[in-house]
Amino acid sequence: MTTTDHNPDRTADVLIIGAGASGAAVAASLAEAGFDVVCIEQGNWQDASKFPTVEPDFELRQMSSWSINPNKRKLREDYPVNVDDSAIDPVMFNGVGGSTIMWAAHTPRLHPSDFRVKTLDGVADDWPITYEDLEPWYDLNDHVMGCAGIAGDPANPPRSPRQMPPVPIGKDGEMLAAAFDRLGWHWWPSDNYVNSIRYGEGRDACNFCGHNMMGCYQRAKSSTDLNYWPRAIDQGAEFVTGARVREITTDSTGRATGVNYLDAAGNDHHRKARAVVVAANGVGTPRMLLMSASDRHPNGLSNSSGMVGKNLMFHVYAGVTGVFPGNNERWVGPAANMIMSQEFYETDPSRGFVRGYSYQSGRGPGGPGAAARGGKVPWGAGHHEQVKRRLGNTVGLGVIGDDLPEEHNTVTLDPRLTDSSGLPAPKITYTVSKNSRALLDHGLIQAQKVMEEAGADEVDVNRFSREAGWHLMGTARMGDDPERSVVDSYGQSHDIDNLFIVDGSVFVTGGAVNPTPTIQAIALRAADYIVNERQDLKS
Amino acid sequence: MITSNLSESDVNVLSTAMDRVVPAVDDLPGAGGMGLAIVVVERSRADERFWNALTTVVNALSSAGSDGSGEFASMSGDEQDDALRAVEMSEPAAFALWLDVVFTIYYMQPAVHKRLDWHGRSPQPVGNEMPPWDESVLSKIRQREPFWRKV
Ligand SMILES: Cc1cc2nc3c(=O)[nH]c(=O)nc-3n(C[C@H](O)[C@H](O)[C@H](O)COP(=O)(O)OP(=O)(O)OC[C@H]3O[C@@H](n4cnc5c(N)ncnc54)[C@H](O)[C@@H]3O)c2cc1C
Repeated sequence: MTTTDHNPDRTADVLIIGAGASGAAVAASLAEAGFDVVCIEQGNWQDASKFPTVEPDFELRQMSSWSINPNKRKLREDYPVNVDDSAIDPVMFNGVGGSTIMWAAHTPRLHPSDFRVKTLDGVADDWPITYEDLEPWYDLNDHVMGCAGIAGDPANPPRSPRQMPPVPIGKDGEMLAAAFDRLGWHWWPSDNYVNSIRYGEGRDACNFCGHNMMGCYQRAKSSTDLNYWPRAIDQGAEFVTGARVREITTDSTGRATGVNYLDAAGNDHHRKARAVVVAANGVGTPRMLLMSASDRHPNGLSNSSGMVGKNLMFHVYAGVTGVFPGNNERWVGPAANMIMSQEFYETDPSRGFVRGYSYQSGRGPGGPGAAARGGKVPWGAGHHEQVKRRLGNTVGLGVIGDDLPEEHNTVTLDPRLTDSSGLPAPKITYTVSKNSRALLDHGLIQAQKVMEEAGADEVDVNRFSREAGWHLMGTARMGDDPERSVVDSYGQSHDIDNLFIVDGSVFVTGGAVNPTPTIQAIALRAADYIVNERQDLKS
Repeated sequence: MITSNLSESDVNVLSTAMDRVVPAVDDLPGAGGMGLAIVVVERSRADERFWNALTTVVNALSSAGSDGSGEFASMSGDEQDDALRAVEMSEPAAFALWLDVVFTIYYMQPAVHKRLDWHGRSPQPVGNEMPPWDESVLSKIRQREPFWRKV
């Protein structure tokens, strides 16, 4: 479904580009505070009853029109990404809800130390905010999105009670947890934005289908089209979908005046606004700022520091898969979020690298097709035996590593490749650092110990996951110094006082956890700043 | 949607190759013998990547047969496996994707589910059941003192 612009001539107080995790949070807060909000989104609303998990060919669709990789999905609303010079493929979803339509909804928080890596470990930069600064918005976001989990994790600061009990960790989770216990290593049930009981308007408990990365038919997995957006729309926020912003416009003083966008038919429109919030994710946002270059802003908008598009971080991923023969039905439950371990999260100089990693356990993929794919099962002789051995009998342990910022890891505009509207596609240039490789190698060795301790019959090692660029961070980072950063601690551009950036682009470092609760906390904090300090933007 | 199609002899090559990669087992014929080559062609025509992988593999196998050693379909099983391995080496990405498509389509078949005693349902709307969350599993880790790094 596409929503057209009903008020093309009205000047909105705040125009938001992108309807994903961060754009939704900002929209609801501002609309509830009486701001006139309009959101422009290149994708469309999703109908959960049509998600492919109800179809017998769901696995085939997962490899094409429902791939997490826009270069494979190739829908009109996707933009291609040139990854020829990148070790990692960025993955995302473009539509109302953004990448939360496809995410696994594993929702840990950054650690206090993540905000102070320069001070503590002498690398990268400190954030201009602390964990404590963000904590109230982490809590608020947990409440709106709905967090299943349990407080008391010794690896993290004390946390407010979770909204729901943990999602059951099942036989697999218990097996891995017992192995961690025997090794004397930390583990804790994952925080998830997945309903373990009914929570939120019209949202059921998870029915453990195991395939939440193709949209959640049950609406048990939280996505922002189910919570923040209905709230924002109730409060009068306006939506234009199927509309691709091609540039942010500015006046002779350099301030933002609105955007130019193309509708689904390719017609050009201008929408005026007193302020613009960019929430197009860590790839889409630098692309947008660079596409908005003009005579007044020859290097792109808000780029006097030259930092737009630089310091791209993804998190590096590797993992092991244990095979536990028997008929174990190990696919039952949310795909990726049973338990996590942060035994090796912090710097230990004896390990030969700085910062660290988390472990995130993952269920074996359900279905014989999934058991057969992926290169571990031979074709020809031995094929049937191996499928039978693996079907329902594998458990994964992923290593998610801190990926420190490096200026040569970038998002730029590709000179040739374009999207379906003819706009320049982003080009990613990204290499894996020595530090990242060292921490992954360490993580893989320890992960094999966990699998062996758990009784795995065989352990497969995946040294590096390429299609794992689900966390897009760092490309318009925050800071106090306008020469080294793009926005201040509230996401307000150093160069343009009515331009805000609220997505993962603003991260200074990435930590070793999934970023979305932090992205949304930052977005909510930015919205509160606008409400409290920028009443001048309100009509 | 791709508008071109495979010739009859290419479909024959494909079907023969599918019998080698997913051979007959118990009372089931191989993937080719089950008549799935046509399904692979149809589904591949809906996705450019699948189609490119399919035609790369089939073209390579067809030309493997034209070097004087005979048609792919009339080679011995071992020779066919050698030809497949050669394509796997020379076109690893196309071969891997083609194989994934063949596997996925084969494992969508009810007869295959029956042999594997797999329920064969799509993941939704029925879902699965799990035993409830049991807090007693935390008894050991709860004894650990907080160890997060204070700043
Ligand atoms: C498969 C997968 C699994 C994931 N699992 C997890 C997880 O378990 N835990 C976790 O924390 N994170 C996870 N993530 C990451 C998480 O989804 C993102 O961090 C989060 O959604 C980012 O929010 P965002 O608002 O920055 O961007 P997004 O949610 O990506 O939204 C950006 C929106 O902007 C729109 N947009 C971009 N450019 C334009 C334009 N020019 N005009 C109009 N609209 C535009 C896009 O269409 C999109 O809808 C996962 C992601 C994926 C893809």
